[in-house]
Amino acid sequence: MAKVTDMVLWDKPGEKVLLLGNQAIARGALEANIAVYAAYPGTPSSELTDTMAVVAKRAGVYMEYSTNEKVAFETALAAAWSGLRAMTAMKHVGLNVAADTFMSAVGMGVEGGFVIMVADDPSMWSSQNEQDTRVYGKFANVPVLEPSSPQEAKEMTKYAFELSEKFKHFVILRTTTRSSHARGEVVLGELPEEIKAGKRKFGKFEKDPERFVDIPAHARKFHPLILEKIEKIREEFNDMPFNWIEGDENAKVGIIAPGLAYAYVKEALHWLGVENVKVLKLGTPFPVPYGLLEKFMDGLEKVLIVEELEPVVEEQVKTWAYDRGLRIPIHGKDLVPRVYEMTTRRAVTAIAKFLGLKLPIDYEELDEKYRKALEIVPPRPPSLCPACPHRNSFYAIRKATHARGIYPSDIGCYTLGVLPPLQTVDTTVAMGGSIGIAHGLEIAQHGSISEEQRKKEKKIIVATIGDSTFFHTGLPALANAIYNRSNIVIVVLDNLVTAMTGDQPNPSTGQTPHGMGKRIAIEDVAKAMGADFVEVVDPYDIKATYETVKKALEVEGVSVIVSRQVCALYKIGQMKRRGEKWPVYYVDEDKCTGCKICINAYGCPAIYWDEEKKQARIEPSMCWGCGGCAQICPFGAFKPVEGGDE
Amino acid sequence: MKPIKEYNIVITGVGGQGVLTAANILGWAALHAGYKVRMGEVHGMSQRFGSVVSYVRFGEEVYGSMVPEGKGDVILSFEPVEALRYINHLKQGGMVVANTKPIVPVQVSMGQARYPSLGEIMEIVEEDFKAKWIGFNAEELAVKAGNVITTNTVLIGALTQIPEFPLEEDHVREVIRLSVPPKAVDMNMKAFDLGVKAAKDILGL
Repeated sequence: MAKVTDMVLWDKPGEKVLLLGNQAIARGALEANIAVYAAYPGTPSSELTDTMAVVAKRAGVYMEYSTNEKVAFETALAAAWSGLRAMTAMKHVGLNVAADTFMSAVGMGVEGGFVIMVADDPSMWSSQNEQDTRVYGKFANVPVLEPSSPQEAKEMTKYAFELSEKFKHFVILRTTTRSSHARGEVVLGELPEEIKAGKRKFGKFEKDPERFVDIPAHARKFHPLILEKIEKIREEFNDMPFNWIEGDENAKVGIIAPGLAYAYVKEALHWLGVENVKVLKLGTPFPVPYGLLEKFMDGLEKVLIVEELEPVVEEQVKTWAYDRGLRIPIHGKDLVPRVYEMTTRRAVTAIAKFLGLKLPIDYEELDEKYRKALEIVPPRPPSLCPACPHRNSFYAIRKATHARGIYPSDIGCYTLGVLPPLQTVDTTVAMGGSIGIAHGLEIAQHGSISEEQRKKEKKIIVATIGDSTFFHTGLPALANAIYNRSNIVIVVLDNLVTAMTGDQPNPSTGQTPHGMGKRIAIEDVAKAMGADFVEVVDPYDIKATYETVKKALEVEGVSVIVSRQVCALYKIGQMKRRGEKWPVYYVDEDKCTGCKICINAYGCPAIYWDEEKKQARIEPSMCWGCGGCAQICPFGAFKPVEGGDE
Repeated sequence: MKPIKEYNIVITGVGGQGVLTAANILGWAALHAGYKVRMGEVHGMSQRFGSVVSYVRFGEEVYGSMVPEGKGDVILSFEPVEALRYINHLKQGGMVVANTKPIVPVQVSMGQARYPSLGEIMEIVEEDFKAKWIGFNAEELAVKAGNVITTNTVLIGALTQIPEFPLEEDHVREVIRLSVPPKAVDMNMKAFDLGVKAAKDILGL
């Protein structure tokens, strides 16, 4: 079967394929003749960027993995200023990073269509907060489009470029985990000739300082301009392909369903068997088109807004109704939870209550049965992979600091170091946050440590940060720590890929989707900035890593250790593809004393406890052969299987 | 293709077991059969050896990507205890097709949690949820077919045999044939047949 990434570039209009929401958006961008794409990966947006990375060269699109969302935003924005169609994508918190440029440049507008894809993560499946990007749209007065199906995601992307160009304004294409990671049938459209030919498109930047230099005298003109644009766009949305009224036009009750909530509302109405309602399907949660709203509200006696997270549509509808003197009940967040993601259950429950109907299923009984079932289910949180170099780094840090340190960490797979048995992550806030937090903690804790203890351990704070995160926002924090003479150890967990989001390249290797860029060695950066101690170590050598941490703790000032070993998941994936083998370890039953150090201090998922024999065992199908267990076992019980496996 | 309003499959397992691959195969088979398809999956951190779940849904009235609670026709579980973690999605009287080979979580090895017996798991499935349990060691059959990585093919084979499963066995088999590397086709076909046989034996077909 063809690869999905190939299907995205198929010149087969009318062909029906199964695409992930994110891939459908990539296809939409190609059908819209996109010229420049720049992004920093972030779940749940990453597959859009990765798909673009695979097809870009063949489609004549310039694509890059930027070092952070702000840089990516600026790269794409400047292309749009030059008259090209450009796109950037990020997870919701990525927009916080790009927000400075986003908020400052919105008044300048664009020449070529500029689409900002932002993927929210309600319920936080892979995120640190639950912010609702639609609020950003309202904040910046930028229109927000939100698809309800993979097909609509593709069509909406195309439309977003046209809308942006028509109003010379930014457009946000907002998805959620459940639309980005929903797969569904998508009918392919026409590809432009330039994309089919793989021809790079170039633009021209017309100088206009009054527009592109935001000194106060120029910038003062922006705010009224922005407000004028957004009201025009509100009008435009009265009649656009992703907003419509359906159902019983004589109904006395109405439901407003923005974005993906429409899908849940449809299912709920079918399940409840309700037909005498009118539904306003909204692809534009901001701005809500008042003309269409007026048509919808005509004759209604009460309304329910079923939306996920913040009451963005609800507030607009209520404001409009108040101004019009309309005094019918408008329900929303009183019936639909404001936290966590929307589900069919939530939609059914809200609608049943709104209409005074019996629920189609006894949820109380179901919850009770489920609660009982979960009582016997052991937890299975995600864990660092077998052979993960981070495990060794954490193990060495914990040992070198006698588990008495404070361990600020960062955003990446290594955040999983918070879990037992490693427990070497005490704080995580946002990308690049580890170093700033470490510095602040050092300032705050310094005086509280006795001189005696200080003599023993010059430093108590060991921060960990990944390679990609280091380049993302770690750099300014490192400069700050060095400049202000901090006294911390920073261990850069350099696994040579942006692992958690799917093995994207970053400056640590210098690889790019279109060949070699320029490699930037993290140790060179640290040295150039003036760190007081800089060393590179291989965490697969646990003793050497331990000793390096020990040395770094002795140095007064900022110590930077680059703990470098390629991501095991990435490496094993490559080896599998090449049909290569790796060594697998086993437990020598004569040597294992059952001390459990490997389980209670090291915690590799391939090692489990044999309750009958009271010994450790290795699950061969999960062992990736790093040999870390053989290094930490005091009794030499772990040994490689002769001749290897797999 | 017989028209259906909705058919809901919940696939559960441990990150790295091939849950996403299995979902994709079933999704494509449903698309080829002419159904409207929705699939839901979670990427990112949870894939790292934690519990994972994917949803495959098809039929006229399918819109969202998640199987609603209490509406799942079948749970296909790659690991015994994972059959229970999302059992709230199973309808009363649904089916559970499960691999009975456990993967013991680190928390259990550390003594912080207990792994239940197969009997306890089955009791909840059969007594509380009035569901049919079709459990067998799929990993063993996969090894017999040639490689443990065909465990998901064994399970999919078994799935096609359950009563009222709307997708044709041959449709599904064809998608597997097309999706695996050429040199792995025979092995996967063997794995599929072993799964079919295992389910037939249990169901008395």
